[in-house]
Amino acid sequence: MAGYRKRLEQDLERWIAAGLVPADSRAAILGSVGEGRRLDAATTLAAVGSAFLGIAVIAFVAANWDAIPRLARFVLVLGVFAGLCGGAAWAARRERPGLRNGLLAIAALVYAAAIGLTGQIFDIAGSPPAALHGAGLAAGLLALAGRSSGAAMAGLVLLGLGDLSDGPFQEETALPWLAFGAPLGAGLAWAWRSSPLAHTAGLGLVVGAMLLLIRLGPPNDAGLLLTSAGFAALAAGARWRRDTEGAAAGGLFGWCVLGALAFFVIAGFEGKHFEGLPHRMVWLALSAGLLALGRADRHGAVSGLAVISLIGAVCAILFDLGLGLMSAAGVFLVSALAALVAGWLMRRRKPA
Amino acid sequence: MIRALPIRILGAAALLIAALVALVVYEGQARASGREVRLAMEAFDPRSLLTGHYAALQLADALPAGARCPDGGDEGWIALRPEGSVHRLAGVAKTREGALKLGPVAVRGTASCIGGGAEEAQRVVLDIGVDRLHADQTEAEALEAALRAGPDRPEALAVVSVGRDGRARLKGVIVGGRRTDLDWF
Repeated sequence: MAGYRKRLEQDLERWIAAGLVPADSRAAILGSVGEGRRLDAATTLAAVGSAFLGIAVIAFVAANWDAIPRLARFVLVLGVFAGLCGGAAWAARRERPGLRNGLLAIAALVYAAAIGLTGQIFDIAGSPPAALHGAGLAAGLLALAGRSSGAAMAGLVLLGLGDLSDGPFQEETALPWLAFGAPLGAGLAWAWRSSPLAHTAGLGLVVGAMLLLIRLGPPNDAGLLLTSAGFAALAAGARWRRDTEGAAAGGLFGWCVLGALAFFVIAGFEGKHFEGLPHRMVWLALSAGLLALGRADRHGAVSGLAVISLIGAVCAILFDLGLGLMSAAGVFLVSALAALVAGWLMRRRKPA
Repeated sequence: MIRALPIRILGAAALLIAALVALVVYEGQARASGREVRLAMEAFDPRSLLTGHYAALQLADALPAGARCPDGGDEGWIALRPEGSVHRLAGVAKTREGALKLGPVAVRGTASCIGGGAEEAQRVVLDIGVDRLHADQTEAEALEAALRAGPDRPEALAVVSVGRDGRARLKGVIVGGRRTDLDWF
């Protein structure tokens, strides 16, 4: 917000000098934007002091861990969790959403640690994936109960770690929890308009889909291309609502583009029926189209992704064709002509 | 702002705390009510600072001379039979019923054989989910020192409770006749 205000101030000066905006409107326009939240020095020092106090308490407990009876240790672990949740409830009551969100995110992580510590305190043997999935579900419950995007992010990370902890590339093992948690996280990000949660859920969607494909059996062309098409459809939906839904839709748009492109690229290497030059040509065209889209939408991540994808497609074509430089020249000539013609057509269609 | 948000947060926290307490109580009851077996174990490994002070243990027992290593050790169920004051591997099976035909105690897990060279007896290692004992630093170091005392090292046994669900839960250890039990305090 502060960055936008600064830019607006500079633009306003230009517009007033050019006579586009009356000088009297300057204050009203800037007032409508607001100052943005800034932490003052006292608040910053209080936050740093709180963090040091927390570290001191943790170090003191760790130093005396063996001296504390098992039951007292368990009560201590639960007490810390209950204290954080109580603080979050207080923050909710006092209508301080930032504090509520932060405390619930920390509570979600503390509960994850509490599961491990309880196992240690009482020597309860269990599987690491089950503990991580349980912690992820607990974080999800806290997120839903307290409307906390931070807890939801922690939940997605814990579910993902649980899925990866028993070997990410094992086929025919349990289905990944992330494949079900990430869409829910994306839905919450959309509903709560949370950009950080949208990014976490977007990454979760891509990783979850990949794990799901691997665990349903060796990925084939149809599965990979269908997944790519699914991500493309999601990307189109997110882009369509980007202006009305804000940053959350923008974040999801970027990750869905990555998913669509990644699964399409993998289909050309892992698949048996869709490989070789046809795949590379479509890859090249998609990358060029994405670059144009990214530039038009001023979406830096999509533009950057498209550039990397273009480089990858070019490298793949050169690798596929070996030393056939004449063939490579022909392929890139056709691609260049296609890009130039497409650009020319778009420019002609643009109103003056 | 949703007015019920504080209530919802406190409700979720209470539910999660209750779940953790229920887990501890359930595991405690299952440990107390399970059938107690004593299994031979080997020297402790050093403690880990990251996961608290614990002593890693391995349930390993020498195979009797001429005995064959059980085939299909990864079948999922292990049968144990009493032999004096300890229990030893009787065989492995795919089902609990199959394991109970081989020995009176059936526990979930796998068995594998190691060693068996010219000068080394073959040993069978049981993986039943019991692989560490959390103890304070002094206690863990004393146990480790006793078990690394060379040929005169004392007998070391893991006291394990086998529940009706077939899971093994550690109850304590016996080193040199001294029993250390896990309790609430």
